Amino acid sequence: MRTPVVLSLVGIAFLGLPVLAPAYYVTLMLPFMAYGVVLLGLNLLFGYTGLVSFGHALFIGIGAYTGAVLTTHLGVRHMELILPAAALAAAVVAAPVGALCVRYVKIYFGMLTLAFGMVFYTFLLKFYKLTGGDEGMRMLRPYLLGSEWPGFSKTAYLIGPYYYFSLAVLVLATLLMWRIVRSPFGLCLKTIRDNPLKAESLGVSVPRYRWYAFMISAVYAGAGGALLATPTGNVDPTLAYWTHSGNIVFMVLLGGFSSFFGPLLGAFAFIFLQDTVMSVFPYWRLIFGAVLAFIVIFAPGGLMGLFARGRRPVEVSRA
Amino acid sequence: MTANLVNILMGGVFHAAILFLVAAGLQVVFGVQKIFNLACGSFYALGAYTGVSAVGYFTAHGGPPALFIIPLALGGLAVGLVGVVVERGLLRFVYDRDETFQLLLTFALVLMLEDLIRMTWGTAPVSTGGLYLNYGQARILGATVPVYNLIVIAASLAIALGIGWLLSRTVFGRIIRAAADNREMAEALGVDMRWVYVRVFTLGTMLGTLGGALVIPATAAMSEMGIELIVEAFAVVVIGGLGSMRGAFVGALVVGILRSVAISVYPELEMLLIYLIVIAVLLWRPSGLFGAAAA
Amino acid sequence: MILEARDIRKLYGAYVALDGVSLSIREGEFVSIIGPNGAGKSTLINVLTGVLQPSGGSVRFKGKDIGGIGTVALTRLGMARSFQLVQIFPELTVLETLQAAVVSRLGRGARLFASLAGDSQVQADALEVASLFGLADKAHALARELPQGDKKLLDVASAFALRPEIILLDEPTSGVSTADKHAIMEILVGAAKRIGLRAIIQVEHDMDIVFGYSDRIIALHQGKLLADATPAEIEADARVVDMVVGRRRH
Repeated sequence: MRTPVVLSLVGIAFLGLPVLAPAYYVTLMLPFMAYGVVLLGLNLLFGYTGLVSFGHALFIGIGAYTGAVLTTHLGVRHMELILPAAALAAAVVAAPVGALCVRYVKIYFGMLTLAFGMVFYTFLLKFYKLTGGDEGMRMLRPYLLGSEWPGFSKTAYLIGPYYYFSLAVLVLATLLMWRIVRSPFGLCLKTIRDNPLKAESLGVSVPRYRWYAFMISAVYAGAGGALLATPTGNVDPTLAYWTHSGNIVFMVLLGGFSSFFGPLLGAFAFIFLQDTVMSVFPYWRLIFGAVLAFIVIFAPGGLMGLFARGRRPVEVSRA
Repeated sequence: MTANLVNILMGGVFHAAILFLVAAGLQVVFGVQKIFNLACGSFYALGAYTGVSAVGYFTAHGGPPALFIIPLALGGLAVGLVGVVVERGLLRFVYDRDETFQLLLTFALVLMLEDLIRMTWGTAPVSTGGLYLNYGQARILGATVPVYNLIVIAASLAIALGIGWLLSRTVFGRIIRAAADNREMAEALGVDMRWVYVRVFTLGTMLGTLGGALVIPATAAMSEMGIELIVEAFAVVVIGGLGSMRGAFVGALVVGILRSVAISVYPELEMLLIYLIVIAVLLWRPSGLFGAAAA
Repeated sequence: MILEARDIRKLYGAYVALDGVSLSIREGEFVSIIGPNGAGKSTLINVLTGVLQPSGGSVRFKGKDIGGIGTVALTRLGMARSFQLVQIFPELTVLETLQAAVVSRLGRGARLFASLAGDSQVQADALEVASLFGLADKAHALARELPQGDKKLLDVASAFALRPEIILLDEPTSGVSTADKHAIMEILVGAAKRIGLRAIIQVEHDMDIVFGYSDRIIALHQGKLLADATPAEIEADARVVDMVVGRRRH
């Protein structure tokens, strides 16, 4: 197995990065790690359960705004409290939303999730007094491990303590997801993805398991959203906009939805590619749109699929 | 009071007329090709910018301002031919794929077109200025309504009737309906689906670009207008029912008028109300008011 | 009496799909349901498996009314089924498919953080069913890469892995070469004995299979029960032979 070797090398690189790499690249790692958490959850829905949500930015938004409200209005500054609160808020919203959405599949599931996402977006935009409208809200620098890290400048804080904190959260999220997809529960999700009719005949309650998967993915998106808010320092309604939902699905596809680590690779590639492209050419969407079209048409297995050519081809044809 | 009501209503119907065009483009493509085209809003934006440029060129070369609607409509229709390129260059590769991938391909188009528009026309809003006032104002029950808006409403109605005629009375319409019902059957009867797809998609694109061109004298073109409109067009087709032309018509009226009423009564509700209706319709009747049974 | 249907009627609008069908399945029986296309077999299966609520009459499984209770609930009660058009999980291996059935039977599907590989009971059970069906050497093959006959076996095997009391097989040998048909039936009947199935119901077109394995044959015609008798009696009934069975070559 090459995987443990690759993972150890990646792990060492991540640990050493703040010491070795320029601060700029270290700060780019922060959104990568936040999106990594989001995408692990999204892919439980996409790659493992076979449902594509076009409204998942809703839960990123909920997580991010939870962080902002807690730090600026309620005086809760400990990240160890903010993350569970963000995850909980996402779960509370996902429970009814998911229960309604999982009754539908394919295009109807996508449309319904998109509509719910836009409801939240419009709420954030229009209810100015509560949400700050299009300007959004500030996310104050959270305490980590009980400390304010007083001696640290903004950048030093982000590339030091906050970097390692994010890394720890990402590693924890990855380990938990690794267990989930290898559990009896994960197997049930895969049966639903492959053939819901047959899954039902084996006694797997399809709507219930879809709902569980939806909730878990929302919890991940909520936590990731809160993690994302700190480096930005500000949260605004575009976090919940439908194109943001589209972009995170794009990231999953870019890395490879049929591989466990594909989404993480996708987030990494997306963030750094976007940065590189934008530094030479302001119209990154043009390039990224072309990349997405290329992947959809020629390489539906994403980057992971390209690396693993011939090992286990991806089946994407209409069932 | 009446004047106010008429104003709100006419504003809503004007918006509905535009929405209908874009939604009709979405419907015809979904009906035949089973692809939900997220890029229909981008085509709308493309039509809007092209319309502004066409009118600008026209007036700069001495065209009489009163005739601006001719280059406007022609520009909007002409740029719709980009549909041929998109269909032949991209979509034809994914007809036998899972709909998720089809959806993502149209999302790729959204991304590309948004930046293509920025590259071509810049980020600042562009408009045709006050040209549309050339047609004057009409007084209806005490309210003042630009005549231009009435022309657009009439044009949209005419197009709706035209599509109805096309679908029900022409050979091409019969082929479209046969292809929508059963692709294999249509192919077995000797219909060349490539021919159908490229025409249908181009028709859908042209409806979107024309809608964008026609709206622009009354507003200004902005690069985000496409991704904003798609969610409204999406609301229209969900309320009306995916794939149904009558549904697009009724859905556009519902969304257009409700939005107009909401803006004047309680602006915070504007789109929120529309989305809540969309969710209610999806849950209560997933096939929409006029759609066939949903999956 | 394990399964009992009384005076089942099913209407689709004005169309009568089933018109007063009664049948009962007893302990230890292998019962075949036959009939030409449109006789109402598919509707009957859907009523017997709790998918459809009959318009009239009742279906009882172990004394409990199961009309329209749904697939999942019926599985819990102890009835499993396989499908006419083979149903598999294309991206799962043979072993994973069987594990899924075992996980479902043991009610362990909601174990989020438990290790599937570390669940020795699930592993052993799945492997046992695999070898029962001669699939042990293909345990790690992807279902979509199996030959057609093995896909069919896997579909049936996963239903067996639920250790049901009664199983309903919808054309267990359709789409399989004549040479493989009897091999599949032998495996199936052998497995049924080993697992201790209380009854098997099958819907089948192949009369060699029907007459070769059934204790009793139920013939449907235009939504009505035409005959319910032993194979020998059916063969002697000219009317049934004409309308349903057709002339068999011996």
